[in-house]
Amino acid sequence: MIQTNNLKFKYDNDNTIFEFPDITLSKNQNLLILGKSGIGKTTLLHLLAGLLSPSDGSIHIDDVDIQKLTNKQLDKFRGQNIGLVFQNNHAVQSLSVMENLEARLFFAKKTISKTVIKDLLEHLDIEMCKNKKVRELSEGQLQRLGIAMAIVHRPQLVLADEPTSSLDDTNCKKVMRLLIEQADANNANLIVITHDQRIKPLFNKTLEL
Amino acid sequence: MNIWKISVKNFRYKPLYTFLGILILSVSIALLVGIQQLDTSFRKQMENSLGDIDMVVGAKGSPLQLVLASVLHIDNPTGNIPYEEAKKLLKNPMIEKGVPISYGDNYMGYRIVGTTPEFTALYNAILKEGKNPEKPMEVAIGATIADATGLGIGDTFQSSHGLAETGGHAHNDLLKVVGIYEPTHKVMDRLIITGLQTVWDVHDHESEPSYSKEGRVVEQEKHHHEEGEHHHNEEGHEHEHEEEHEHEGHEQETEHGHQEEHEKEITSMLISFRNPMALLTTPRTINENTNMQAALPKFELERLYQFTGVGVKTITWIAYAILVISCITIFISLYRMVRDRAFDLALMRSYGANTFQLIKMVAYEGLLISLIAFVIGVLLSQIGIYFIFEMITDQYKQKMPLELGFQELFKTAVLVLLMVLFSILLAINPIIKMNISKILSHEK
Repeated sequence: MIQTNNLKFKYDNDNTIFEFPDITLSKNQNLLILGKSGIGKTTLLHLLAGLLSPSDGSIHIDDVDIQKLTNKQLDKFRGQNIGLVFQNNHAVQSLSVMENLEARLFFAKKTISKTVIKDLLEHLDIEMCKNKKVRELSEGQLQRLGIAMAIVHRPQLVLADEPTSSLDDTNCKKVMRLLIEQADANNANLIVITHDQRIKPLFNKTLEL
Repeated sequence: MNIWKISVKNFRYKPLYTFLGILILSVSIALLVGIQQLDTSFRKQMENSLGDIDMVVGAKGSPLQLVLASVLHIDNPTGNIPYEEAKKLLKNPMIEKGVPISYGDNYMGYRIVGTTPEFTALYNAILKEGKNPEKPMEVAIGATIADATGLGIGDTFQSSHGLAETGGHAHNDLLKVVGIYEPTHKVMDRLIITGLQTVWDVHDHESEPSYSKEGRVVEQEKHHHEEGEHHHNEEGHEHEHEEEHEHEGHEQETEHGHQEEHEKEITSMLISFRNPMALLTTPRTINENTNMQAALPKFELERLYQFTGVGVKTITWIAYAILVISCITIFISLYRMVRDRAFDLALMRSYGANTFQLIKMVAYEGLLISLIAFVIGVLLSQIGIYFIFEMITDQYKQKMPLELGFQELFKTAVLVLLMVLFSILLAINPIIKMNISKILSHEK
């Protein structure tokens, strides 16, 4: 369950104060947050991920007030409970696909069997790339690796930042279906922030900023 | 997966940067370790070669030359002194013992030193096989000579006049090896030890008419030499074996009678004091009241270090400078790694890695570079020193032990570690100040 109250944020060198509407998501609910560029979409996502601290308000994820966590506790909480998908998918360059997933689990302090990881890679159609370095992957493979990285540790919340903005219609639907399917399969809440109206029909709950 | 494995993967990801960092650091470590080891080895070697010698008394001239010639055996002597006059010094109660040495000949570049049995005690030399020379024309050889020349017990050889390997004419008299010493890693290893009488006899023979087996007088030919003059019999080469037999009787029956004790000369007298107070007064007394010169080996060698020390210090400072440069290189390499992989590091933070884990990752990488560089550096230094020591063995006929000074090595390791840790501390600054949100917002 995700709940935010009176969330506000101000950057140090900027007078603009971002004020965000309250969000309440029950178990397995997904949310699409739409908004133009510069409205604070990524800021909201980073606040939810605990990468930024709000100037005011509170964020509860599964009854945990993440404002009250120490930095170390927050790192651990983020690692174990949140999965992030980025617009341009990235992974650690010096590691292979499999090693990236192992590193993800190591930092999350979670143990998942290799068979489960293999099944996930097979499902995402990148099992044959498991020993390849990140730089050897195609854009599509990289995108699927990004999704795998976001869900491999079975998080409570998956946050996706503009996951489809650079994709054509076919791939856009493909990626979103995959993301929703994986979030559902892991009983995770999925919050997608985007300005891409094409994916609106896939969500039954949306929020306009 | 763990931090160490990720560091190793990062380490191998950009091999050129890593290689350059390792290369520069290895060179500076090799220079530092090498120069320290060389300096220590030389000092130890020289101090070892001093044995129990507190003072050297020889002919007037350069005191450093006297010490180099009589103690380290790497220079020409300043001249000769009367044995009788030198022996008078031993009456001084401050003097515990005096060992006379006399030389001027060599065999294949190895000096033949005529002395008394006390000489070997100065260097704690122990016989490996055979016995100490007792009769004239008997010699015992140092370990280096035995290895280099292949001479063994019972072998005979002819000495050459002078101290250089080439250029001196061969004496007729055959010297017989009766003993071989254990290695001492001191000057003893490259000396041929014999009695004083041998040195006198070898030269006396050739200054007097020689007799053939049939009793006829053989013609003499005079030769002039750098350190003085003596005569020898050119035809003696044809009668080497006969002459060897002749010597034993000849020496005892005729030669000893030819020269009075008071006319005999030695090159120098090596003196050990009974009381350290003697260092203050005895040398001055000798220098002022006799025709001889007294030199203090420790003092003279310290003066020598002051000259050579400038070079050693310069190379050491160059090595330190390279070390600093290599640490700057490591810092730049790590700093660039942190900057270039800022997104990777921020990504790891988003995966749940804490700041300390990222610092550990960078630190492991820096430490891995320095560890590999240290091992390569020490290996390089040992290879370099091996060749330098081989050169010294060739040039000075002195084997030096290839020992690694663990204290110096430890000091260098600590110094390198401190400098690398300092580089790491500077390089991790961006991690400490990392704004994950900002980095992830400005995606590549």
